[in-house]
Amino acid sequence: MNNYNPLVALAIFFLIVGLLYVIFRPVKGWFWLLKKSIKSNEKVIIEDILKQLYHFEDSDNKVDMKTLVQVLDFNHGRIVEAINKMTINDLIYFDSDILKLTENGRDYALRIVRVHRLWERYLADKTGFHKTEWHDRAEMMEHKLSHDDADLLSAKLGNPKFDPHGDPIPTKSGKVAEVTGVELPLLPVGAVGRITHIEDEPDVIYKQILAENIHMGSLIKVIENNSTRIVFRSEGETVKLAPIVAANLTVARIEKEVAIEDNVARLSSLEANETAKIIGISRESRGESRRRLLDLGFVKGATVSIDLVNPLGQPNAYLIKGTSIALRNDQASKILIKKD
Amino acid sequence: MKKNNIDHIIELSNELRWQIGDEFHDNLTEGIYADAADIVKDTVKTSDSEKRFRLDAKIDKIVTSKYFGFPIMFLILGTVLWLTIVGANYPSSLLANLFLDTIHPWLRSGAESINMPWWLSGFLIDGVYLAVGWVIAVMLPPMAIFFPMFTLLEDFGYLPRVAFNLDALFNKSGAHGKQALTMSMGFGCNAAGVVATRIIDSPRERLIAIITNNFSLCNGRWPTQILIATIFIGAVVPESFSSIASLLAVIGIAVLGMAFMFGVSWALSKTVLKGEVSTFNLELPPYRPPRFWKTIYTSLIDRTLIVLWRAIVFAAPAGAVIWLISNLHIGDESIAAWLINGMDGFGFLIGLNGVILLAYIVAIPANEIVIPTILMLTVMVTGIGGGAGAGVMFELDSINATGDILKAGGWTLLTAINLMLFSLLHNPCSTTIYTIYKETNSVKWTTVASIMPVILGFIVCFLVAQIWRLF
Repeated sequence: MNNYNPLVALAIFFLIVGLLYVIFRPVKGWFWLLKKSIKSNEKVIIEDILKQLYHFEDSDNKVDMKTLVQVLDFNHGRIVEAINKMTINDLIYFDSDILKLTENGRDYALRIVRVHRLWERYLADKTGFHKTEWHDRAEMMEHKLSHDDADLLSAKLGNPKFDPHGDPIPTKSGKVAEVTGVELPLLPVGAVGRITHIEDEPDVIYKQILAENIHMGSLIKVIENNSTRIVFRSEGETVKLAPIVAANLTVARIEKEVAIEDNVARLSSLEANETAKIIGISRESRGESRRRLLDLGFVKGATVSIDLVNPLGQPNAYLIKGTSIALRNDQASKILIKKD
Repeated sequence: MKKNNIDHIIELSNELRWQIGDEFHDNLTEGIYADAADIVKDTVKTSDSEKRFRLDAKIDKIVTSKYFGFPIMFLILGTVLWLTIVGANYPSSLLANLFLDTIHPWLRSGAESINMPWWLSGFLIDGVYLAVGWVIAVMLPPMAIFFPMFTLLEDFGYLPRVAFNLDALFNKSGAHGKQALTMSMGFGCNAAGVVATRIIDSPRERLIAIITNNFSLCNGRWPTQILIATIFIGAVVPESFSSIASLLAVIGIAVLGMAFMFGVSWALSKTVLKGEVSTFNLELPPYRPPRFWKTIYTSLIDRTLIVLWRAIVFAAPAGAVIWLISNLHIGDESIAAWLINGMDGFGFLIGLNGVILLAYIVAIPANEIVIPTILMLTVMVTGIGGGAGAGVMFELDSINATGDILKAGGWTLLTAINLMLFSLLHNPCSTTIYTIYKETNSVKWTTVASIMPVILGFIVCFLVAQIWRLF
């Protein structure tokens, strides 16, 4: 033990730590990359191509080989190989340059989409993953879950109609519900509507929408709409969006005069000596936590006030039905109130 | 025909469900709650709640205020801990006197008088009995003091306010404010702290609280910390400061434990526990006068005795193992000596030694017997005088004499510091491990909770040792 040098020991230690980091660091670690490349076999490529074609056709866009290769994150040779195989198996066909789905291909694609959206619904309702992660996790799962598994999952979730972003989930028999509404920039000033869909791709824009704290299903009223920005009020907050971001929101216009009251607010904006009536809980609060809030008495019509202000800012304690319940701000922001 | 009919009905129900839409279930639930609320409003009359509520509100204003909230909290929790550590000394030494200094020699002479073979009396009396007696003497008094006081605070309604005050800190590390309570409970006993996590009803936060509870320095480890700090840390400063220096060192270790608790909570919630469901809510119940005798009774029965019983069950075989490895020989060395020699290299690398590592392995059942085991093993391998024989754990009344034995075993200030660190960062005792398994029902999380702290301990001790030797 005499010929040992603490410096050498330290160096070896940090070498090992560094090596472990390179191999196992999240997402880009060698271990994960290796695992992913082993998994991206032919089936995955075929299913991804089908899905892309389905989305393109759904939005009335035409795809040729070149766009497809650009959109997909696979080796070009393997894509070409997969497309050849798919034409032979009667999943797709060429209409001059344009790639199109056959009847079979469409069925297959719908099944993939069904699994993807069901899994997002599952992640939203039954797990604690943050919404920025739903999409990527569902991308992996859609290749793993069999048709029967998907049916079981669907039944367990109560046969949901829409995924958490508002996209319709195709039924077992391939039926797809309609998303009502138009893109937000198409609404005139003064229009009132309900958000029915939030597009989760591309990632950059989706993150901006999340950062603005915009919830599915909330009522909005457009107060400014021009080529540089779109401003609307929702749940007592004023939100400004660039048109390109706003285009990823779909809003169903409400024609009859639903009074969108001006003093609707989020519970988190309640001040110490105000009282308010609860209007409802935002759709954004899901599953277990939504049920817990209802259990505790945060239901339509209940009177609420602040019982205690927290010395560190949050959670504040709210007085509801004679009981003092502490809620964190992100929860309180999902309860809608009307101040007295 | 009938089958056909049922299929038709199922088909129809699916169709109707589809048409009703997603919001139906929610609206129904909300409707039921709203109706119930209306009925309550019309029929239930409350009269006396008004007055009581005003007093509650006054207390709440003070204990959660910006200026008094935290000082009150530290004062109360500090007092509870201080009373436990100081107050437990007297009954502990009484019990030690009874079990270890009176009954133990008496049992031995009794065994001799009936001509019991030496290996049987050694195994049963020096091994099993001594370990059990030791665990009871060291463990029972602090638990019997700590748990009732803690339960009284709980019963009074103060503890939820602590969770309320501290939640923002725990929120930042992905944990639940109630973890403040289970952590405090862990200062009494980690096994009890793990059981206490039942108050956290969000699955992710509960797992975090269970896995990190071990970072609360428990009653079994406080005496080790205090003893080592007194011998080694107190000695490096001028004598008039020695007691304050060793006190600060022990508090520093406890605070370091909290820092690890926050750090590991954060890391867990960002990695392996990301997908677990997380909900938050915290009810602040009204204050009420604690039911004194009932609380004392239930806390003694439910918490103290159950934990003590589990500890005894695990301590008995540990005592047997300690005696056996010291008395069974392979070649001309005892098993203990072989193990110590084998682990000395690794021990040196992380600033400890083979004796300490072996003591921590055989003392997995109870942290209380670490120091007696270390003393026995040190005397055995160094061959210096003193002690009570191979496999017989002992402790000395004089702190100086204890220090002399340890220094004869090659201990330095570095060994002492690293022992204090390792005592904080090592696997939970077997009682706690068993409790974690009971509470989580998962081998995976039990393994994580058991292995992770000891790996952390190795890393921290290793780094401290290397940096120490550089200078």
